[in-house]
Amino acid sequence: MEVIVCIKRVPETAGADIIIDKTGRGIEKRGLVFDINEWDNYAVEEAILLKEEYGGSVTVISMGPEEANETLRRALAMGADQAIRLTDPVFEGSDGYAIARILSQAIKPLSYDLILTGVQTEDDGYGQVGPTLAEILEIPHAAVVNRIDGIEGGRVKVHRELEGGLEEVLDLNIPAVLTIQSGINEPRYVSIMGIRKVAKKEIKVLGLSELGMKPEDAGQPGSLSVVERVFFPPVGEGAQMLEGTMDEISDKVVTILKEKGGGA
Amino acid sequence: MEAQKNELLQKFELYGCFQCGKCTGGCPVSLKSKLNIRKLMIEVLLRENLGNMIQRDELWDCTTCKTCTLRCPRGLEPMDLLIGMRALSVEEGHIPKTIIEALEGAYKYGNPWNAAKNKRSDWANELELKVFPQGGKAANLYFVCCTAAYDTRVQNVGRSLVQCFRQIGYDFATLGNDETCCGSEIRRMGEEGLFEMLMEGNIESINKYDIRSIVTTSPHCYNTIKNDYGQDGLQVSHYTQVLAEAIKDKNPFSGEMRKAITYHDPCFLGKQNGIFDEPRQILQSIPGVTFIDFDRSREKSLCCEGGGGRMWVESSDQGPRLAEIRVQDAVDMGAEILATACPFCLLTLEDAVKTTGNEEKLRVMDISEILVEVL
Repeated sequence: MEVIVCIKRVPETAGADIIIDKTGRGIEKRGLVFDINEWDNYAVEEAILLKEEYGGSVTVISMGPEEANETLRRALAMGADQAIRLTDPVFEGSDGYAIARILSQAIKPLSYDLILTGVQTEDDGYGQVGPTLAEILEIPHAAVVNRIDGIEGGRVKVHRELEGGLEEVLDLNIPAVLTIQSGINEPRYVSIMGIRKVAKKEIKVLGLSELGMKPEDAGQPGSLSVVERVFFPPVGEGAQMLEGTMDEISDKVVTILKEKGGGA
Repeated sequence: MEAQKNELLQKFELYGCFQCGKCTGGCPVSLKSKLNIRKLMIEVLLRENLGNMIQRDELWDCTTCKTCTLRCPRGLEPMDLLIGMRALSVEEGHIPKTIIEALEGAYKYGNPWNAAKNKRSDWANELELKVFPQGGKAANLYFVCCTAAYDTRVQNVGRSLVQCFRQIGYDFATLGNDETCCGSEIRRMGEEGLFEMLMEGNIESINKYDIRSIVTTSPHCYNTIKNDYGQDGLQVSHYTQVLAEAIKDKNPFSGEMRKAITYHDPCFLGKQNGIFDEPRQILQSIPGVTFIDFDRSREKSLCCEGGGGRMWVESSDQGPRLAEIRVQDAVDMGAEILATACPFCLLTLEDAVKTTGNEEKLRVMDISEILVEVL
């Protein structure tokens, strides 16, 4: 079982002070903490679980600057066997489609049974890369996979999470792309010792020419969509900020709940 | 696994154990948890390999109070064997999710509470403290502790301590947002590599600002900086030592408090470092206070279950929380205030006051908070 997992290093924005950068089309990333995209972490764990069950190997691929090595090393420490980093100045500004194209160029020469990605990323959240990658590679895909039942006779059976608490079971030909939902497994902890052990493992680096691409295939020229601006939505009405000590705030909450008819 | 078994065998001298059972006899959780530290010593010795031993849930019940190690007549280290087994589990990666979150938080944000690094000093926003990285100069570093920095309840301890230090004219500065977790709990959860990383970061700060003396809020930071960091010539004190010394000749805390107060010995301060008298001296110096000691006090003190990573994982047992037993004992002997000197003890005991419905009868306070009331 040869599994490829596409992963991304993203800034953690929960609880952080977010500032919109000078371009107005992104956020100030200085001072933010980076980590593997949460969904991708589940995808790496799922790939390793598949390897543990069916044998074979796991290859992780990430597009990004040198810092992305940190994320790739983390995946190697989890149990991945090879790591590839795709980087080139012209990749900057690529949308989901352009990223899927870049990834597909790296994946085409490899042999694989499954490609896993996270459902979406924490930063951009398009949820496009997985399905687009499947289209470019002309293989089937299943999105929002929350269980893999098994692989047999060239087919994989997966569960997909639908709205309204429904689940769908799909039977697909492999190779296929699966976008992995969080909660599908319990990703293992990666210790500092574990990361140190893989510190010398090679990370293959590929740029535009190694991928057989032209500058117009990537970045903004190769993208189908352009970010116009990002902004904080205006604060809506109805929210009330309570101030005071913990006790005072608790009292105020109880009073408000009673006024609104709660706490009977 | 066999190599790992042999390593534990050698490192913890398991052949030296004669199974007297003093360790389990003293273990505060052994009555309610499946964890049996005596049995663990011999099981590791006799088993062919460790197998799924390191996956047992009860390994996470240990509070690392160290009673087993302190009472071992052969001078062996059962607690460290248990931490060693946790370490193997950490290396495999299959550990409780809440422990993973705490460890990842310590790695990413420098604190196991997963709070933003740039908000670490927000608790002191209006206090105008001197901060070493901002050019502040002082004779002592006040090492705040992650829990005192971020936990809204324990922040009051930090603020009270600042008032106490100012009252006795103690010269201090903090590391501000540059302070990172001391690593005490991280090491005891079995993440030795991460502990070393955090320790190296803190030692770098200590050297950078030429710090010779550190005072801590928490007995856990105190213990690890003093005993695990291996920094000769660095003076490390718990705040109760500094305050007890300062009030010896002339007590600047002159107010009166007509209350019956008892004191809960934090394991990392009392049992593990022999600091029993200073906290009692401070409390007994307050005019009006009736001091009552627990039956189980000092070396015999009952652990509150807040140490060894237990702030981040629920125990596998179903028995009563030891903090609840402690609170009930305090109420039964007529104490009105249960004093302690550790952020974890403060939180576990205060929770226990609520879960046992004793909020009207007993107040849990840090010693620094009591002193602020008698300023």
